[in-house]
Amino acid sequence: MAASFVSNPDPCLDSSRKKRRKVEDDRNPASTTQARWRSDKEQRIYSTKLVEALRKVRQGSSSSPVAVSGGKIVKEAADRVLAVAAKGTTRWSRAILRSRLRLSKRLQKCRKARVTGDSRCKRADVRRERRRTPAVQKKVKVLSQLVPGCRKAPLPNLLEETTDYIAALEMQVRAMTVLTELLSGAPAANRLNFTS
Amino acid sequence: MDPTAGNVPGSAVPGPDHEEPGLETLQFREEIQRLMTVPPDNASSFTALLELPPTQAMELLHLSPESEPNPAPAAVSGKPPLLEPCAHPFNSSLTFPSNAALIERAAKFSIFGGGEQSPETGAVPSNPGVNLEKVKSEPAESDSNPNSSQETKNNQRSSAKRKEREKKVKVSMKKSKIEAKEDADKIPYVHVRARRGQATDSHSLAERARREKINARMKLLQELVPGCNKISGTALVLDEIINHVQSLQRQVEFLSMRLATVDPRIDSNLDHLLATESLSLMQSNFSNMTPPIMWPELPINGNRQQYQQQWHFDALHQPGWGREEDNHIFITPEASLISCNSSANSASLHTGHVKTEL
Repeated sequence: MAASFVSNPDPCLDSSRKKRRKVEDDRNPASTTQARWRSDKEQRIYSTKLVEALRKVRQGSSSSPVAVSGGKIVKEAADRVLAVAAKGTTRWSRAILRSRLRLSKRLQKCRKARVTGDSRCKRADVRRERRRTPAVQKKVKVLSQLVPGCRKAPLPNLLEETTDYIAALEMQVRAMTVLTELLSGAPAANRLNFTS
Repeated sequence: MDPTAGNVPGSAVPGPDHEEPGLETLQFREEIQRLMTVPPDNASSFTALLELPPTQAMELLHLSPESEPNPAPAAVSGKPPLLEPCAHPFNSSLTFPSNAALIERAAKFSIFGGGEQSPETGAVPSNPGVNLEKVKSEPAESDSNPNSSQETKNNQRSSAKRKEREKKVKVSMKKSKIEAKEDADKIPYVHVRARRGQATDSHSLAERARREKINARMKLLQELVPGCNKISGTALVLDEIINHVQSLQRQVEFLSMRLATVDPRIDSNLDHLLATESLSLMQSNFSNMTPPIMWPELPINGNRQQYQQQWHFDALHQPGWGREEDNHIFITPEASLISCNSSANSASLHTGHVKTEL
């Protein structure tokens, strides 16, 4: 009888504690994401850093007789610069930076090991009846694989990361588009200037 | 003993006003135990208490029809008169000791129900709804435990009255739900209110809060992804989001490939672009190109030249402010590199300009 009385407030306290931690997160994503990744300042910072990184890549590739810097190297550099621009506030940015530090092989091994550990999570799901259909679950899994560093993230965190990631990717696309067109069109413009 | 015994059952049920349901139920339980230990033989139910001193009970029964039914003070002291029957008046309409417990209970809780509503409606904006509902469920549980013999009847009556009260309180809570939610945003706690007809289980409440959070984030995503506002349904929206992320990633790959193959003399291009009109161009382009551009294949040189012509002309019209803006931000890191590289770039007019500016 004593146990039944005492144990009742405890789940309330636990859930309230969890809620307490997560309330702060609710206010942040809406206000900061779009304003942050759409601002001119952020774009300028990103474009300059990107240009610097590209120049380093080009210098590095010219010194070693490797073929022209492949698109992959450029893409990785662009992603890294984007992650740096995020200033480590988001999971995906930290995951990208981490992946640059470690060797790719080590990462693959870690990923394989983590995959087998997923069966632990299923027990937690069985406990409570989940209203999420298996179709939705599959899509959530696909999305978590797309966003770097969010494979095992809980759904609300995953959605938050996705929001930030999409905004950042849009900025990246914009910056790279402009850069590409400027760079590729520059020699043509030079010729025009000289002729006129 | 009597005033304390009289007060404690009185204070146990208006426990909902305080935010410590656990303590109140403990107090209530202690009170029950105290009352039950008085008759040493039967410690199971209050009816046993009544039955033990049968002569005294009969005396009370005779006394009760004479006295006026005065539920308010009488019910409060309903229990202690069992111990000292002569001193206090007993509740009316008691025919049998078994019924006495039932009716005394019902009367007591109805009193406190009436008393609860007014403080509750006043305290509703500040009180957490979860605790209110929990405390209501807890006294119901605690009541059922001591009464082993009359459990069903007792519970039916008390639970019926409690349901009425809960419904009334829930309506009032629903009205003040918005206010409470706004207050909740400021407080670190999240107070979740159960609406009418929804389960008050702690698990379902937590799940509902979680669901609401997830739905809020999904709404944000829908706003971000173009074309997702019209779609309803989590699966389809997620489909769109996945497609959008994949398309963006593909665009980045495509652009990086182009950047890699665009021009071998990229250093010179980068220099003069950075120093002169590139940033003004970028600014104007960024403001124009807010939606991401979908371009599966573009002719490499044809269209681009036309675009470049326009942009470069626009930029050349306003070279001054662009350069002024850019100088203080970008020239400093680029200065060394530009000076190194521009020596290789004698053909370019703009690098000449850059030199003079620096």
